[in-house]
Amino acid sequence: MAVFMQSLISGILIGGVYALIGIGLTLIFGVMRVINFAHGDILMVGMYLTYIIFTMLGIDPFVSVLITFPLMFLFGGFLQKVFINRVLNALAQNQILLTIGLGLIMSNTVMLIFTSDYKILTTSYSSASIQVGGGVSVSTPLLISFLITAAITAALYWFLLKTDTGQAIRATAQDRDAAQLMGINVKRMSIIAFGLGSALAGTAGALISPTYYIFPQVGGVFTLKAFVITVLGGMGSVVGATLGGILIGITESMSAVYISSGWKDVVVFVLFLLVLLFKPSGLMGKSRT
Amino acid sequence: MRKHLLTLGATLALSPFLMAQKIGVINSMSGPEAPIGENITNGIKLAEEDLKKKGLSLQLVWEDDTGKPQISMSAMEKLATRDNVVGVVGPYTSACSNAVAKLAEKYKVPLLIPAAAKEEITRQGLKHVFRMNAPADKYASSLIDAATAMGKPKTIAFIYENTDFGTSTSKTAKDYVATKGIQVVADVPYPKGSADYRSTLAQIKSKNPDLVFMVSYVADAILLMRQSKEVGLQPQAFLGAGAGFTTTEFAKEKAISESVISCTQWTDDVNWPGAKDFGARYKAKFGKEPTYHAACAYASMMIMAETAKNAGGDRAKTRDALKAGKWNGVMGEVAFADYDGFTNQNNHQMLVQQILAGNYETILPTKFATKKAVYPFPKWK
Repeated sequence: MAVFMQSLISGILIGGVYALIGIGLTLIFGVMRVINFAHGDILMVGMYLTYIIFTMLGIDPFVSVLITFPLMFLFGGFLQKVFINRVLNALAQNQILLTIGLGLIMSNTVMLIFTSDYKILTTSYSSASIQVGGGVSVSTPLLISFLITAAITAALYWFLLKTDTGQAIRATAQDRDAAQLMGINVKRMSIIAFGLGSALAGTAGALISPTYYIFPQVGGVFTLKAFVITVLGGMGSVVGATLGGILIGITESMSAVYISSGWKDVVVFVLFLLVLLFKPSGLMGKSRT
Repeated sequence: MRKHLLTLGATLALSPFLMAQKIGVINSMSGPEAPIGENITNGIKLAEEDLKKKGLSLQLVWEDDTGKPQISMSAMEKLATRDNVVGVVGPYTSACSNAVAKLAEKYKVPLLIPAAAKEEITRQGLKHVFRMNAPADKYASSLIDAATAMGKPKTIAFIYENTDFGTSTSKTAKDYVATKGIQVVADVPYPKGSADYRSTLAQIKSKNPDLVFMVSYVADAILLMRQSKEVGLQPQAFLGAGAGFTTTEFAKEKAISESVISCTQWTDDVNWPGAKDFGARYKAKFGKEPTYHAACAYASMMIMAETAKNAGGDRAKTRDALKAGKWNGVMGEVAFADYDGFTNQNNHQMLVQQILAGNYETILPTKFATKKAVYPFPKWK
């Protein structure tokens, strides 16, 4: 039972961070219909940013989210304005090539600057944990990052549902042309959406860095995960991405215990295929015809 | 003028002998294995320097395999056919070495592998493949012997990355504990680079093993120990087989690395000729402690270069000389022998070490011991 609870709890906590990565990707896809293959690399940039802030300025990774979030927002907005906006009406494969290229440039630039050495952030609480009874312990850094994730997700919902800009973003996602006809500046909305998506990915990077390790090629793992999460939850659905993230976290954690660590990716992808077979638009997705 | 012409003529005639021998190096200089690959690069650079001092200039052809077997193989093809090297030192990882070994045999190029652990590499009867370091079975047996010498472990749990290195090291360890009457209570391979090992570790904890045997590279080693502390896994000893558990980065993480037992091919505590001096010069030149990979690579390059030169740059003669030769240097006595199904394998003496106060201290064999071992593993704070 302790093992079950332990893996459930760590699954949910890890899943929270996955959700944050997925939400960023789904937001970008929803608004622009562009599949961002550089998502993991943007997360990696966020990790390095956290690393620099921690080692040079001595600011705690969790506090540094306050700096990382706006910086990554600007970075994302810049990418959108300079690169992505130009290919919005291009063929899908051209968009994919562009984002893959941007990702490669990011990971290789970081490799040139920082070399490919693994960096590990060691904070005072890196291996701290809270005993919750019954032999189950909760990793302190993971718990903090989960709480921050939850707060950010809640703030994002509020932003998308209640504010004018949020509604304009959702309108753009629903129908770009109609939104434009209603007087919404869709180019600006795209910049905001990509900025937000990048900021979320960067924040996820910052939140993972105290418990994970940092290297230039780390992005690939998370790009793939982000895709599974968004497609599982339904492309473009923020609620779906949240659910998908947590579902993937729990599945990984459970299958590592009850099947085998080496098979956990297989289990995740089998689940993914099953969802696609029986509900092709994803858990919360509406098929767009 | 005439005299000058004569000298020129003599030089031209002698030039095949004066021309630097070409030796290939395949190493993981970028990519995920690069932090360890760097030690190999540095070791070889130091060897290059020392060879120059001995009046033996050689031309090294460097190839970066980025830790991928397929790139390693194309590097070998290039070295063997295009660069016409006499011999090759490298590659680093087991997966790359195993792939390249067969090519070396095909092209009849002597290959000296400095630090890859997988046993099969020198167990295929390949005549052109030599290995400096002790293979995986020695990692396992020396660690488990150390544990049984210090306590009475009855159960053991294995957690290892599902790569060539991880599976082969733990497989031999499992075979070895069977002969010692230690029961395997958990056997968990994991995919490299997972963010979360907590559930797996909690499962191991529920089995309450006396020994935890881990095989990982550097980043996962730190992660695994951090999360072991988190879930409160408390065995008599953590045994870390090679690679990640023998790096300075790992030792620096004092909160989680203290008292972890690992084994290594080399430390500068040994009294092998030139070892202390090598350690000091390495530190002066590169600003960090050499790992065993550096010493293995250094010794491999010294042997390969000298042998290649004495053989006049002939591949077949180089191979024969490597097979027949005996050396004594920073890695102790080196000879490439055939034993226990191995071919051209240096039967190297492994050292068991423990991290005490943030430093690697040799604890076994007793003649090289620098500190007394701490056993059982202290309670997590």
